[in-house]
Amino acid sequence: MNSSEVDILLVDDSQDDVDLTLHALRAENLANHVFIARDGEEALDFLFCSGPHSGRSFDRPPKLVLLDLKMPKVDGMQVLRRIKGDERTRSIPVVLMTSSREERDMVSGYDLGVNSYLQKPVDFDEFRKMVKLLGLYWLVTNRPPLTNSRPAAAGQAK
Amino acid sequence: MERANASRLVKAGSTTPTAEASHANPNSAERWNPEQALREQKYALDQHAIVATTDVQGTITYVNDKFCAISKYSREELLGQNHRILNSGRHPKEFFQQMYGAVANGEVWHDEICNRAKDGSIYWVDTTVVPFLDACGKPRQYMAIRTDVTERKRAEEAREHLAAVVDSSDDAIISKTLDGTIKTWNRGAERVFGYSPSEAVGKPMLMLIPPERTSEESDILACIRRGESVEHFETVRVRKDGRKIDISATISPIRDGRGAIVGVSKIARDISQRRADEREISNLNERLEQRVLERTAELAAANHELEAFTYSVSHDLRAPLRHIGGFSRILIEDFGPEMAPTARQHLARIADGVHRMGLLVDELLNLARVGRHALNLQATSLNMVVEEVVKLLQPEAEGRAVDWKIASLPSTECDPILIKQVFQNLLANALKFTRPRERAIIEISSRQENGQVIIAVRDNGVGFNMKYSDKLFGVFQRLHRAEDFEGTGIGLATVHRIIHKHGGRVWAEAEPDKGATFYLTLADAGTVELNASEIANQTASAGASV
Repeated sequence: MNSSEVDILLVDDSQDDVDLTLHALRAENLANHVFIARDGEEALDFLFCSGPHSGRSFDRPPKLVLLDLKMPKVDGMQVLRRIKGDERTRSIPVVLMTSSREERDMVSGYDLGVNSYLQKPVDFDEFRKMVKLLGLYWLVTNRPPLTNSRPAAAGQAK
Repeated sequence: MERANASRLVKAGSTTPTAEASHANPNSAERWNPEQALREQKYALDQHAIVATTDVQGTITYVNDKFCAISKYSREELLGQNHRILNSGRHPKEFFQQMYGAVANGEVWHDEICNRAKDGSIYWVDTTVVPFLDACGKPRQYMAIRTDVTERKRAEEAREHLAAVVDSSDDAIISKTLDGTIKTWNRGAERVFGYSPSEAVGKPMLMLIPPERTSEESDILACIRRGESVEHFETVRVRKDGRKIDISATISPIRDGRGAIVGVSKIARDISQRRADEREISNLNERLEQRVLERTAELAAANHELEAFTYSVSHDLRAPLRHIGGFSRILIEDFGPEMAPTARQHLARIADGVHRMGLLVDELLNLARVGRHALNLQATSLNMVVEEVVKLLQPEAEGRAVDWKIASLPSTECDPILIKQVFQNLLANALKFTRPRERAIIEISSRQENGQVIIAVRDNGVGFNMKYSDKLFGVFQRLHRAEDFEGTGIGLATVHRIIHKHGGRVWAEAEPDKGATFYLTLADAGTVELNASEIANQTASAGASV
């Protein structure tokens, strides 16, 4: 897959969760342009076109970031803070998907500007239903900014 | 009568050879009239003294008015009586023997005598008995001249009494002059300070005062000179052996009869033991407070840990559960057609187990959350809460005949979110355990008892045996088999925790097959107490949300 054609950036350290999510996305035909990052660091490299992704361009951001909270190295909350704290990435929709029912996670997620906060249901049917709704909404129903049209000067991290 | 007595006295006196000589005044301008002079002297004597004469047997032969007045006998009652009539019994026999011995020998006798008046009252007389001798030198009669000293004797007695009290006191009682010199020193003072009276009297009070406190003495003396007392002054003094002691002293001015300040009295008590006790108590209190602080911190830490634990339960237990459920579902869907029917059944059981464990984890988390949840008390209509819950439970009552009998319930101060959970659990239970009934009857009512509102939730379900009632509110405790009634055993534990948090009580009455009633009280807002664990909870969550 060409990394410039990514619709969804799926950030999750659990292979099981990745597989289940992909399985659900596939059923809705939404799994063709998914890039998988296995921790926060990889996700940041991808989003900020650095490290192995230095060849990428800010002009083609993913239409959606599906972000797990608990991850090694850089956790989901830190990734979210970087995305929403930088003008180059701020407009990318981010959905936190987590097992946690902790209110404080939800509160700090919204404080940091997350677009949606979802708890992964234990029941697989419900999980599937949720992923379907999510994918259809953000990739089909929602109108994303087509390209990142900000001037280069604003491209510097604040 | 008066005259007769007087003449008798004059006659008696005239026989004394010295009498005339001592009173003769040859230089007097007036003509010397010995009779008048004697009369005048007698008159003057009667103004001052108590006078009586007796014969040698002691029989009263003469008394003056003052004698009658003090003895409270009339003259008629006295004359001819033996003088013993006035004996008070206060003097030993030897006392009078000694007196009679002296006067019989012609000696003038002098002492203080205690007599008893007619009405039984006691009086003291300073007495001089003068024997009058006949020509052969033998006593002819005795004349007693006395002065009333009762007042003085009483004062002396009182003083002695006081001295005895002072002496036997446990407290140090000291008097000193206005310049601070010790004048009296009782036994209490000796015991408290270690100095004997001879070592202390005449010495300056400063010898008891530690060097760093010497200014106290001048301050105290200044107070006293202004006429003020110093009461319960707690300070430190030094004993003879150099040991310092804590004392409490009351220091007052001593005034003379005209009110002038002439000295200082000091009553001091050794309070070293009391002070030591107080220090010990205060030490113990400090240690206790320290320990409470430590325990609270430990508790906060434990709560913090628990929080971290529930967080990881929330995240880490649910994730694998979701994976098991997800992949077994995928297995059935993608490979089901190729599987043996038993394999499919096994997979269905796995899915079932996953579902139950999901519920369990969720309810456990809920229970933990109740513990952490800070009470948010609001005036709440219990009827509204109950109605909401009944609506929420509608899907479960679907297709069943259920009579909800909801009485008018009071509004009360409580946390509406938590109380909703209470009713959710209780009503869901009522619904569940009435399932075998053709018609379920679930009543929610309230009554007032001892100023407290008691809410009752009654059902006509399968009930339970009261001998297991102690297990009812424990976590994971179930009184029914899972095949009969599903459940996690956490619901009533959650109810218990919420009610307890409100400062209320929850209990149940039931009988197998005859239904169950759950009662609960909610303490009013004023009596809701924050206990240590809740405070610790709050600190823990405050710390965690940073």
